[in-house]
Amino acid sequence: MASFFRISAIVNMRSASAALALFFAATIVFFCVSAPRFATASTVENLMSGFSFVAILAMGQAFPILVRGIDLSIGAIVGLVGMIVFDLSLIGQLPGYLILPLALLAGALAGAVNGVLVVHLRLQPFIATLATLAAYRGLTYAISGRQLVPGLTTTPIRDPWLTGIETYFDVGGWLGLSRLVNMPWVPLSFVIMLAVFVVLQVLLTSTRFGRDIYATGGNHEAARLAGIRVNNVIIAAYALAGLCAAIAALIMVARFTTATEALGAGMELTAIAAAVIGGVSLAGGVGAMFGPALGAFLLGAILIGLTLQGVPQFVQQIITGAILLAAVGYDRLLSVRRQRRLTAASTAAT
Amino acid sequence: MSARSLSMPAALSAHVAPNALPIAVAVIIAIFALTEPAFLSTDNLVGIARQVAIIGIMAVCMTFVIMTGGVDLSVGPVLALAGLAAFYSLDAGFSLPVVILAGLSVGAVVGLANGMIVAFLQLPPIIVTLAMLSMVRGTALIVGGPEQHLIRNEPAYSFIGTGSMFGLPVSVYIFAAVAVIMILVQWRTPLGLLVAAIGDNERAARLSGHRTRFTKTLVYVICGLGAALAGIIQSSQVHTALATYGPFGTELDVIAAVVLGGTSIMGGNGSIARTLLGVFFLGILNNGMNILNVPIDIQLIAKGAIIVAALAIAARRG
Repeated sequence: MASFFRISAIVNMRSASAALALFFAATIVFFCVSAPRFATASTVENLMSGFSFVAILAMGQAFPILVRGIDLSIGAIVGLVGMIVFDLSLIGQLPGYLILPLALLAGALAGAVNGVLVVHLRLQPFIATLATLAAYRGLTYAISGRQLVPGLTTTPIRDPWLTGIETYFDVGGWLGLSRLVNMPWVPLSFVIMLAVFVVLQVLLTSTRFGRDIYATGGNHEAARLAGIRVNNVIIAAYALAGLCAAIAALIMVARFTTATEALGAGMELTAIAAAVIGGVSLAGGVGAMFGPALGAFLLGAILIGLTLQGVPQFVQQIITGAILLAAVGYDRLLSVRRQRRLTAASTAAT
Repeated sequence: MSARSLSMPAALSAHVAPNALPIAVAVIIAIFALTEPAFLSTDNLVGIARQVAIIGIMAVCMTFVIMTGGVDLSVGPVLALAGLAAFYSLDAGFSLPVVILAGLSVGAVVGLANGMIVAFLQLPPIIVTLAMLSMVRGTALIVGGPEQHLIRNEPAYSFIGTGSMFGLPVSVYIFAAVAVIMILVQWRTPLGLLVAAIGDNERAARLSGHRTRFTKTLVYVICGLGAALAGIIQSSQVHTALATYGPFGTELDVIAAVVLGGTSIMGGNGSIARTLLGVFFLGILNNGMNILNVPIDIQLIAKGAIIVAALAIAARRG
């Protein structure tokens, strides 16, 4: 019986991912037909370079949600890490290969603080990360090199280790495909996104930590009684969200060759939206990495497509909201069906 | 556990925790009053009341939503859209009651949509109202465009935000009226009990024959109305309607005030009277730090740290 439940859960998750992939494909086809210049290499390039960091943020956001929490502070962590990079590079004149690990460490630490507040001060995740949203943004202003050394505001970051993240690879040219069709150049940020995806997915599905995450999110108390150190699992989940925010910050800083105090503002909501569209359940314990990543690109494809169709930005906001509603509605439908099937199965068994 | 066996920290949490917020309000008032005498001047105190009126009305009206285990992230754009609705009906030459009704109806409609989706489709409130935030902002921008709409030569409408009676601004009277009404609703009507019952155990409330869905819808309508009223006051105060009023972060300030007042974000516990305390706590904090010329970065950090500290102490109670 237990194995039946597990199989049906997996089938359900697969079908949700398949449905999302299908919807993504349908969206692409729709815009290819209806939007001028959508089916071009530059659209693909824009999508890859403009939404890879959103996908990374969404994958990071999935971890707190998987353990039945939420992280509203990741946008502020993006801003904080961006400003740390700015300071270390332009004021501290540190070499980029030192800044990269420091930036990642800062992001993970900021995330871990969220986890500690949730676990040890027993704050509701929504409130704890709301407070750190304010605190991290304040810290960003406090350490802002733009205000400490006003002369630096117009100085771009030139460290090759940092700006190197904004590199494009002519993959089509290497494979010889460019002779046949116009191939998009692949940005390094997209490759980073793929790497993050693979690492986190393996972490979730093939390691003990991943099992602990699902167990903690599924039933906190049962996980604790089973000997899982749920407190550490939850802190690690928030640290991972912070780490992903730091990676996203590095990509954005490389792109703009600078950092502002407002970097990443409001991005937590986009990440939450992408994660939920990607089938990560706010009730905890359900979801994986494929959904949030694809969810981010789905949002991106829709925004780019609508822009090419000439739909004003304001209407796009309305459509984005409607899609988010449709996604949770669909998720709700799936879970109602799941519930019904389980009830039917258990009545059949008795 | 007998009173004698209480250790020091336990005694601290038993006596201090329930009163943490009133004590904190008293402490910050004392600190600001000692460091800056101007803080206690009548002008400044009236100023604080005026400053908190807009957030306060929204916080009072959102308390029920949070008590049912929900949240409303869409109040910011509702505030903007209500201001625009008022502006356009003023522009069309309608009388003041119609203008106010037009503004309030924006809140009622958005609240109704939020509430019905949350109550009847049982979708998570945070996502529903996040989607609504995006959609209402988009609508406000389509309706109002990016430019400012000046509200000129409308003395009756401007009176709402800028007028004063007996030395107090009209907006403060409105805030007080809303607060009193909502406190009475919580204490004297079945709705107050029902809201707490839903937050405690929605299933139990429904099985005992209560119309929980209707109640849940209603609390979102109340929340929307509060945001719309705040929008009317703000547009009247600054003589302008703008689609980007109530920027991102407004809803978080409102939620912070409610939660500081001791309302649990998981639902159940909550009190509108204590929400008022939360509102004034944040308002006094902002005002005092501004008077003392505390830079914005320290203000943000302090705000975050104080919210964490206040709630961590409150959590010890449980």
